[in-house]
Amino acid sequence: MNVTCSDRDRIFEDGTAAEWAALETHAATCAICAKELRAWKALSVAAEELRDYTADPAFWPRMERALAEQAARKAHRARLRRWFSFLPELSLGWQTTLAGAFAVILALSTGWVYLHRSPNGGSAGDPSLLKSKALKEVESAEIVYERAIDKLAAEAKPQLDNPATPLLANYHEKVLVLDSAIDDLRAQAGLNPSNAQLRHQLLAMYQEKQHTLEEVLEARQR
Amino acid sequence: MGAMGLALPWKARISSAPRERGTRVEPSEHFGGGANPAAADATSEDAALAAACRSGDLRAYERLYAMHGAKMKNLARNVLGNSNDAEDAVQETFLKVQRSIASFRGQSSFVTWTYRILMNTCYDARRSRLRKKEITNDDSAETPRLEPRAPGAHPALRMALERALASLTRHQRDVFLLYEVEGFRHAEIAGMLEITEAASKNTLFQAKKNLRLMLEPPRPGRGAAEIR
Repeated sequence: MNVTCSDRDRIFEDGTAAEWAALETHAATCAICAKELRAWKALSVAAEELRDYTADPAFWPRMERALAEQAARKAHRARLRRWFSFLPELSLGWQTTLAGAFAVILALSTGWVYLHRSPNGGSAGDPSLLKSKALKEVESAEIVYERAIDKLAAEAKPQLDNPATPLLANYHEKVLVLDSAIDDLRAQAGLNPSNAQLRHQLLAMYQEKQHTLEEVLEARQR
Repeated sequence: MGAMGLALPWKARISSAPRERGTRVEPSEHFGGGANPAAADATSEDAALAAACRSGDLRAYERLYAMHGAKMKNLARNVLGNSNDAEDAVQETFLKVQRSIASFRGQSSFVTWTYRILMNTCYDARRSRLRKKEITNDDSAETPRLEPRAPGAHPALRMALERALASLTRHQRDVFLLYEVEGFRHAEIAGMLEITEAASKNTLFQAKKNLRLMLEPPRPGRGAAEIR
């Protein structure tokens, strides 16, 4: 392949391997091309001066930390997206609009409740309002049950106060113990009205007293 | 232009013996400038690296860093002019890769894509620096601030080259750095800078012509108008 001085720039720009070889051959006999070729290659040699691949051992650990933090944030966002995946895919504009609408509704509702609250609805001086309706029902049922047992106790009282037999004397002792336990439990239940365990124990004591009194009355009939 | 009148006897000081990279002719160069493994191996390794990064494996990023970190930092330093900005750019590049790996469709190689992100990150950093300097009314905004580096074989030549590079257009400088300093092929540079391969070759040609004019001792009757 023969090349001339006029081919030099084209070869410098986009020459094939064969053309470069031909230019080298031509430069052996052409002083201008030889000088240009040397200068061209020298630029590539000079470019090596800009190569500095010294490693900084602290650089990767720093970058690894940054990558790990970003990965953790990404995973957190993915978890949040899963939580809200039941929502339709909405653009940021729609999400903002919905959030705004929700805030307005919440503000209006709060305002309405505040304005329409009962003037006598204040509960500061009425501790009974702290009790739920269910608790009130239990307490009223207990009172009725207690009165019924008191009636039963009144009927059995003569036998218990003057026991004719050792069995009745034992029943008397038992009723006294039960009354004492009932008083204790009622005092505790008064301090903690919502304690279901105390109420359960109190009910068991009343039932025991009821059975005892029934046995006393049965013993009288016999 | 500051480097125009620089009379540097550089041709006398460096060997003009042709080195392998000195007469690079497409497609004889291998990407990366190291050993020349089979192209198929490189492609499959590139795909495996991309897949591992996509799966979120931090070791894959470490491998990417081990393979290209030093070269990326060197490129960023040559574009931005100092090591701190270069490290920031490389770190930001890795974070961007991690953030957007799901959008990588494989139109180019993964490594080329990574370098494209690096170049864009460097441009952003330069623009940001330019804005800051405009606020502080500093006229030397566009020219990278050159910091001292580890002494090479020809420190005066390096400094002259850095100054001359700063006078080139952005594209000429980037193509010169990618091709001559980092050893990429024109096909790869085209992918990184989103230009054609022919444009990359032509830009390199213009860059080297301009550098020659700037680095050669001034000749009578030659002016700045010759530099394109």
